[in-house]
Amino acid sequence: MRINWKKEAKFLPGYLIVGIWVLFTAVMIGWIFSASLSTSREIFTGTVLQFKSGIHFENYATAWNNQNVSVFFGNSLLYSTISCFGVLAVAAPAAYVLSRWNFAGSKTLRLGLVIAMSVPTIMIIMPLYSLTVAWGLKGRIVLILLYIMLRVPYTAIYLLDFFGTLSRSYEEAAYLDGCSPSNTFVKIMLPLVQPAVITVTIFNFLSVWNEFFMALIFTSSESMTPVGVGLLQIINAMKYTGNYGGLFAAVIIVFLPTFLLYIFMSEKIIAGVTGGGVKG
Amino acid sequence: MKKNKTMIFLFILPTILTLLITYVYPVIRTVVMSFFKVESLTSTTADWSFYGLSNYGKVLTSTTFLTSMQNMLLIWIVGGIITLALSMLMAVVLTSGIRGAKFFRAAIYMPNIISAVALATMWIQYIFNYDYGLLNNLVTALGLERVKWLGTDAKFWAMMGAFIFGSVGYYMLIFISGIEGIPADLYEAATLDGATKVDQFSKITLPLMKGIIKTTITFWSINATTFFLWSKMFSPIDTEASTIVPVIYLYDMVFGGKGVSVRDAGAGAAVGVLLTLIIIAIYAVMNLLLKDSDLEY
Amino acid sequence: MKKIIALLLALVMVLGLAACGGTETTETTEAAAGTEAAAGTEAAAGTEAAAAANYDGVELTMWSMWSSGEPQATVIEEAAAAFGEATGATVNVEFKGRELNQILTASLEAGEKIDIFEDDQSRISQVYVDYTADLTEMAEAAGYVGYPALNDRVVELAGYLNSIVEQPQVGGIFYDKDAFAAAGIESEPTTWAEFLEVCQQLKDAGIAPLALDTAYTNFTFYYHLVRHLGEDGVKELALNGGWSDSEGAVAAAQEIADLVSAGYLVEGAPDEYPSSQNKIGMGQAAMIVLANYVTAEVNSTMGVEINWGLFNYPAVDGGADNTCIYGGANSLAVSSYSENQQAAFDFIMFLTTGEWDQKMADTAAQIPADPSNVCNSLPGAIETLSAGENLMSWCDSINANPDLMSSFKTLTAELYEGKITTGADFCAAMDALY
Repeated sequence: MRINWKKEAKFLPGYLIVGIWVLFTAVMIGWIFSASLSTSREIFTGTVLQFKSGIHFENYATAWNNQNVSVFFGNSLLYSTISCFGVLAVAAPAAYVLSRWNFAGSKTLRLGLVIAMSVPTIMIIMPLYSLTVAWGLKGRIVLILLYIMLRVPYTAIYLLDFFGTLSRSYEEAAYLDGCSPSNTFVKIMLPLVQPAVITVTIFNFLSVWNEFFMALIFTSSESMTPVGVGLLQIINAMKYTGNYGGLFAAVIIVFLPTFLLYIFMSEKIIAGVTGGGVKG
Repeated sequence: MKKNKTMIFLFILPTILTLLITYVYPVIRTVVMSFFKVESLTSTTADWSFYGLSNYGKVLTSTTFLTSMQNMLLIWIVGGIITLALSMLMAVVLTSGIRGAKFFRAAIYMPNIISAVALATMWIQYIFNYDYGLLNNLVTALGLERVKWLGTDAKFWAMMGAFIFGSVGYYMLIFISGIEGIPADLYEAATLDGATKVDQFSKITLPLMKGIIKTTITFWSINATTFFLWSKMFSPIDTEASTIVPVIYLYDMVFGGKGVSVRDAGAGAAVGVLLTLIIIAIYAVMNLLLKDSDLEY
Repeated sequence: MKKIIALLLALVMVLGLAACGGTETTETTEAAAGTEAAAGTEAAAGTEAAAAANYDGVELTMWSMWSSGEPQATVIEEAAAAFGEATGATVNVEFKGRELNQILTASLEAGEKIDIFEDDQSRISQVYVDYTADLTEMAEAAGYVGYPALNDRVVELAGYLNSIVEQPQVGGIFYDKDAFAAAGIESEPTTWAEFLEVCQQLKDAGIAPLALDTAYTNFTFYYHLVRHLGEDGVKELALNGGWSDSEGAVAAAQEIADLVSAGYLVEGAPDEYPSSQNKIGMGQAAMIVLANYVTAEVNSTMGVEINWGLFNYPAVDGGADNTCIYGGANSLAVSSYSENQQAAFDFIMFLTTGEWDQKMADTAAQIPADPSNVCNSLPGAIETLSAGENLMSWCDSINANPDLMSSFKTLTAELYEGKITTGADFCAAMDALY
């Protein structure tokens, strides 16, 4: 492909803006990466990029062996995957219905979702905690249920706007073809908002993956700990034992899988957004 | 189109149950609690004694709470304007047809996939470091004096800057999916009519994205009012007035931060209620200013 | 089943030892190996109760403030396994890390299965006191003495002995002896005037006198303030205000302002933890006001062996309390609803006395909880704590007014930054908070 320089020049300010931003990010991640291969002394004397004492791959071994990182990853994967599907199952139908029809209480429900989303999590966690204790609910299932329920308002509101942009002509056509409303939803409407579903699922996935506070409170044993809490524990252990190389190695270890996953998923978004049936 | 009542009911039932269990019950309990003298959050209602508006009185006369509110407002207004403007700018640039848009999009969103704990650690230990930090290296390269980015003067802004950096990618993605939802032929027609990029942005992009902009402002307001982990990371051992926000204030009061020996769950509940009211107010104002447009295209 | 658990624990121990081997000195490893062999018979030497007891089938849950991988955690796991072998009890240790204190209250209130938990002594005796068992009788029966000064404070705050010291701390001014020698300083300063002289000598020798991280500005100034007013005096001010009218408070802040303007802080101080304290490890700074853990932190972060010394915070002119020394501890408590309080207490004794305590002190470079052990990391610390009749708390007097804490922190940071330049300004700013 030939590059049209004249056309590209027009975009120069745009390139500059995103270029500087990305460069900054790259320098930061780059430094963290090289710090993860250095000793604490090198980090604090500002000689990170020189690797005078060699490259310290053992930082990664220390960070990995320090705690059961693979267990953290497994837990996070379990929690994130199940709750992403759970959230969609609960929130998508409601968002669809709310975007389509006005019915008794629909305004209240909409407002309720927004208010629910705005309540500081800290305020609702404690009553819920005593509730789970009173009912004797324990373990992973509680955490997954909570992740699902606490992501519902956000997901529903997010999807509302996208269902709202879909033309009603789809349903009318489906209705004339004798398609039942729930079939219309599953087979026609949901695929049409696929880009939004993917985007919101990525957001949900990552927020559950990195979730911190609830995981801290609702997991009473290390075997249930997800990555978010695990990372802070590793970071603290490294900090108080003065192993800053190991600290940054832990950061990289935790960051890498999500990053790879994101690159893969972001391709999906781009394909989905431009290929949708919204044009009309 | 015909309404199908059974279907509507079945479709919203799980969401209604979720709201009742995870929000209505805890919120009612919290609101009621804010009018009672309650020391411990999980004490039974039998131990509560009616306290009228005293919890609110205590909170609203506390200098620490007022400082935290001031910080929160700064994050909401100043941080919000900067974040949303930057996100919109990035979104417009990335949808303008530049090369490598996919790459840039992924790269700009990247900070969002890093856990806030890790991201804050990077900023504090590297970017803002006085001796070897990136910013001070830039500053000295320009021949200027080193800056104490984490001193009492700059700490709040440093924290906000780091937070904004982490947030832009998220709002940018929302804007991008909004812009890309706008039919391309609208732009094609506008270009044929000789409209400039700026015209296209203000005449097509902005009006058609009202709903999305409203959503992002609501999201940002929630982020600003529930701001917590960053403040915690930037004042690691004890809470500091320069970075305190209402949720931290609430947290220390309800759970007892390091060194806090007097807990007051009732007053904490009052803070939670106030925060929620603020967000509701913001949402109401947004609804008035940006009326839902029933544009179909 | 129990055998399998025991085997697993033994395996964990061996793995733990293998992991230690790389970083610890061989001395420690040998000691540990010896311990392992002797665990069955000798381990309970310090605690007769534990040796006599049979806790077959008893399951104890301990919530620890350390994270796995920290040396303290390694020792606790090994001790738990050894205790299991000696008594038949199973001790499950959950390493919650420093975030423990943010969830402990809620968990205790909710009746989570916790038999033993770990936190700062003064928090245990104030925040969690409703959920702690009275250990007085068990301690008497076991002949527990510990550090009377620390235990007395617990009794005073909580009303009864509700925790056992695990990691005692002692505070003051820690300094690099080699830096003092290089600057030609022969004796440790005892008064503020001598201290300023020492600062000047260090500065002349090209070494910055004081390192200070923002995380500790409140503690550092608190020490100075207590010298002038005593802890009761500070508490009085904290609760009722009137800072500007207090000569002691104005003088204290003025002296610090002068210290700062004389340029006695290392460049960048107050800096973000741990940047400034690390400068002692780089030979750029000589002293820091903190507790004993700073020595191990700086040594391991910077990969150096600083020749550490400690002297008490200098006396000030007309001071109300010129002798007090910071003393505190991380302690272990038994939950009030634990079904196995005696077993829990016995494990605490097992861990905090005799051999395991010595191992903890050596592995984590801290002061032993059992005064009959030896403190290798900071000679003299045991004597200081044992003799210490006048112990200062970690900012308790300021914290008595929770609304003041965060502002006090920021204002003291401004004082050390040189942003507040007179004692009167500092006190006026404090008064403005009421």
